[in-house]
Amino acid sequence: MTDLWRLATTFGILSIFSFGGANGALPQLHADVVDRYHWLTSAQFVRFWALGGLVPGPTLTVSGLIGYAVAGFLGAAVAAVAMFVPSGVIVYALGSAWDRVGGNPWRDRIASGFAPVILGLTWAGAATLLRGAIDGVPTAAVAIVVGVLMLATRVNRVLLVFTAGVVGYVWLR
Amino acid sequence: MAAVKPSISPLAIGWCFLKLGATTYGGAASASIGDEVVRRRGWLTYDEFLTFRSIAMIAPGANSPNLSVLLGRHLGGPLGAAAAFFASCVPGVLTILVLGILSLDPKLGLGAALRGIAAAAVGLSFANAIEMTATNRRDFVRLAVVAVTAATVLTLHPPLGLIFAIFVPIAIALNRFRSTASPSSR
Repeated sequence: MTDLWRLATTFGILSIFSFGGANGALPQLHADVVDRYHWLTSAQFVRFWALGGLVPGPTLTVSGLIGYAVAGFLGAAVAAVAMFVPSGVIVYALGSAWDRVGGNPWRDRIASGFAPVILGLTWAGAATLLRGAIDGVPTAAVAIVVGVLMLATRVNRVLLVFTAGVVGYVWLR
Repeated sequence: MAAVKPSISPLAIGWCFLKLGATTYGGAASASIGDEVVRRRGWLTYDEFLTFRSIAMIAPGANSPNLSVLLGRHLGGPLGAAAAFFASCVPGVLTILVLGILSLDPKLGLGAALRGIAAAAVGLSFANAIEMTATNRRDFVRLAVVAVTAATVLTLHPPLGLIFAIFVPIAIALNRFRSTASPSSR
């Protein structure tokens, strides 16, 4: 019961305060899951996170997998519902509000205030992943090659991630 | 004047977003959703779509389910919103559970594959951050907010709500100050 309650509150709070999508949520989620509750090690967390980027749908589907690791299928359901439903309700209300105050100039000002903060969280999230995933030359090489290919070419990111998985299966066992 | 809202059945909305939820990935999801509902189905205009996308991005939570809720609501009211929301989340949650459970079996060797995937995620995250920052490279005020936010998160680990409560008003105030100081930059 304690674990289920903690899953519900951890992901529920994250759902309400995680602006900027998955990138915005990453540092706080890592702090809660790894440092605060010790549900996963940092390396496990990064692997789960990476899987979240590989499967269809939002990266934050990782909430279901973390919930499963903590408390089985019930934990998966509790974590996924807590992650997605509160923000879904909020954005529904925002949609209604939008119909009423669509032309207000403060909307753009607020959006311009969020943008650099979300970008800062994106950098912090990347650094957090780096600490958990890079444990030697092979993993560093994979990260650098993938990063450079992503920036320099238009190669499909899912194809890159799948290829990295095959490389890991062959080279990192 | 409020735009005339279309009325699409929740079933059609659910089916559309189920297909999207099962085939779209991460940051590319919003573009795929736009392609489907604007270009292929003609359910709304591109401008309407971009407006909903902006709201989805500044709202809390994952971007693509947020966008699904807004589009579902616009197209089919509360039932449309619920159908789009669940259809966009459920395929990914089920897939990650199956793959995650398989990865826990050491005989399959998927742990090593996940190490490679995790390293790729690092490369992708930095590439994403570099790309997003490059569009702001001449905006030193904005870059300063980015750097201070990242440094604060990495060193002090404050709660996310506190980060937004402190830095968003600062960024808004700096934008306002800059607009006032140099009207030509508007």
